[in-house]
Amino acid sequence: MYDPVADSEAAERKSIAPRLEQIEGARIGLFDNGKPAAEPLLDVVEERLEEAYPSVTVDRYAVDHLNRIKNDAEMDAIEAWADEELDACIGAIGDCGSCTKYLVYGIESAERSETPGVGIVDEGFALDWDTNARDFGRELRYYTMPAISEVIDRDRFREQLTVDVLDEILDELTRPPTPEERAAEDAESESETTVVAGGDR
Amino acid sequence: MSRQEQDIEGVTESFYRKGKTDGLPVVPPSEERVERMLEGTDLPRDEVIGRLGTREGALTVEKLAVNGVMAGCLPIHMPLLVAGARALADPKSNAIQASVSTGSWAYLFVVNGPIRRALDVNSDTAAFGPGFRTNRTVGRALGLAYKNTARIHPGEKEMATIGNPFKFSLFAGENEERSPWEPLHVERGYDRDDSTITFAAPNNFLQYKFEAGPRGDQEMVESLIRNTPPHMVGLKTETANERYEGAQLEVFYALCPYNAQELEAYTKAEIKEYISENARRRADELSGLGGGNAEDDGLQSLWRRQFADPERIKLFVTGGSGRFNAAMGPTLGGPTTKRVELPDNWDALLERYGDGLDREWGQAGGG
Repeated sequence: MYDPVADSEAAERKSIAPRLEQIEGARIGLFDNGKPAAEPLLDVVEERLEEAYPSVTVDRYAVDHLNRIKNDAEMDAIEAWADEELDACIGAIGDCGSCTKYLVYGIESAERSETPGVGIVDEGFALDWDTNARDFGRELRYYTMPAISEVIDRDRFREQLTVDVLDEILDELTRPPTPEERAAEDAESESETTVVAGGDR
Repeated sequence: MSRQEQDIEGVTESFYRKGKTDGLPVVPPSEERVERMLEGTDLPRDEVIGRLGTREGALTVEKLAVNGVMAGCLPIHMPLLVAGARALADPKSNAIQASVSTGSWAYLFVVNGPIRRALDVNSDTAAFGPGFRTNRTVGRALGLAYKNTARIHPGEKEMATIGNPFKFSLFAGENEERSPWEPLHVERGYDRDDSTITFAAPNNFLQYKFEAGPRGDQEMVESLIRNTPPHMVGLKTETANERYEGAQLEVFYALCPYNAQELEAYTKAEIKEYISENARRRADELSGLGGGNAEDDGLQSLWRRQFADPERIKLFVTGGSGRFNAAMGPTLGGPTTKRVELPDNWDALLERYGDGLDREWGQAGGG
């Protein structure tokens, strides 16, 4: 029996970037993937950072349209921004199928520069994130919030995104990688490209 | 392999478990069936038609044939499958976003040219409905091929909030014989004798009736505008280029032959121009997807045009007798048309496999 599932080149397993030792004094990038809800959500993240961590400096990067992210030049630009300007990166927003996918591309770009990243996604899109991130070979981190899909109101985000929630998001940038998240280093010797046949995952 | 592993029930269950079906039974893609399906093309089986999804899965001619077998296609469907797959894989079509988006977009395919007759593509009564083998199986095969190449499943990369019952089944021919205008593919730069398949991804299918009476042509066109809800908008951002990096939304109008013939005195371009000029909505009615800018349009600030320009409107004629029309839209991405290339032994293939499309119903004087 033939297998209808297309072959693909297995992504090399890669470790997530080393995490920060502390938030104080860090340069934190806020990455906007072009979805309308990203800007108001990141505005509130920035407000909370200013309140709770005055020593942090914030830099912003916004993609014109989320479809632009799957583009080598754009991904290189995000990687360079993270490499040159940041110590860590918070991305928004994963609140639909395509924007979750493209937020994964954005956070992957930051992580390629060894900059720890976290994406903020609606809790209904966690499996979507996991399965997209798996294709990049990296256990990219995300933080879920309930029912934030298609919310564009800053006051609603202010109610939800308290300083405690901010600390949970920041924890993703500081908590040391688990063995699974570092799995790549163990497999480093097997760097040859392998083909994932059919339905194997 | 045991008999059970090869029968329809066994294969359907094992493929379903692994997420390789659309939930319906599949024809087992045995070596014999796939080899036969590959007779329908001159292309090498390992030719890559496109790489789809985050995993960059390689959709080869062979994988397309496997999905074609599963969907119930015949070897003579291969040329149409290849052209449809090239349309899906073209980055300009933005099929990836349509496939995974919460917006629940369907794969619309419109077939033009002589291939409609050769493959008995329904373009007349019930064109978009069930009943015809080519319409049903080719649309399904292309949907399965996309799913099995990008590896998307509801909840895993495919995040359609409500879901779309038309996703794999919005497939019809244009009724060129009963149209007063040049067909869609000719408008898009092909010769009338070319066979083509056009892909677009609408998330709504809305029907309405326009009764013949004392009302004039203008009212017919006005009825198209009236039946285009505010979220069906037309726009194209500057970044929606050949690679597709922005937003492009359009509306496809499927006119029935009777109503289309009543507009015979007008060109398609004139009708599109009229719709574009006169489809206006209160600004607060238009969705966040876009619409024109009031100042640029010379409208009062509370009004917007629904279509940024006439090119965001597509008209084609399909269906049979009666006076029902349909608006499909907005479509996501750039509509993409591909030519259907026939293998050298096409006539012999039709001779060998054409019986699979014979029917004893639906024809004047028939069974």
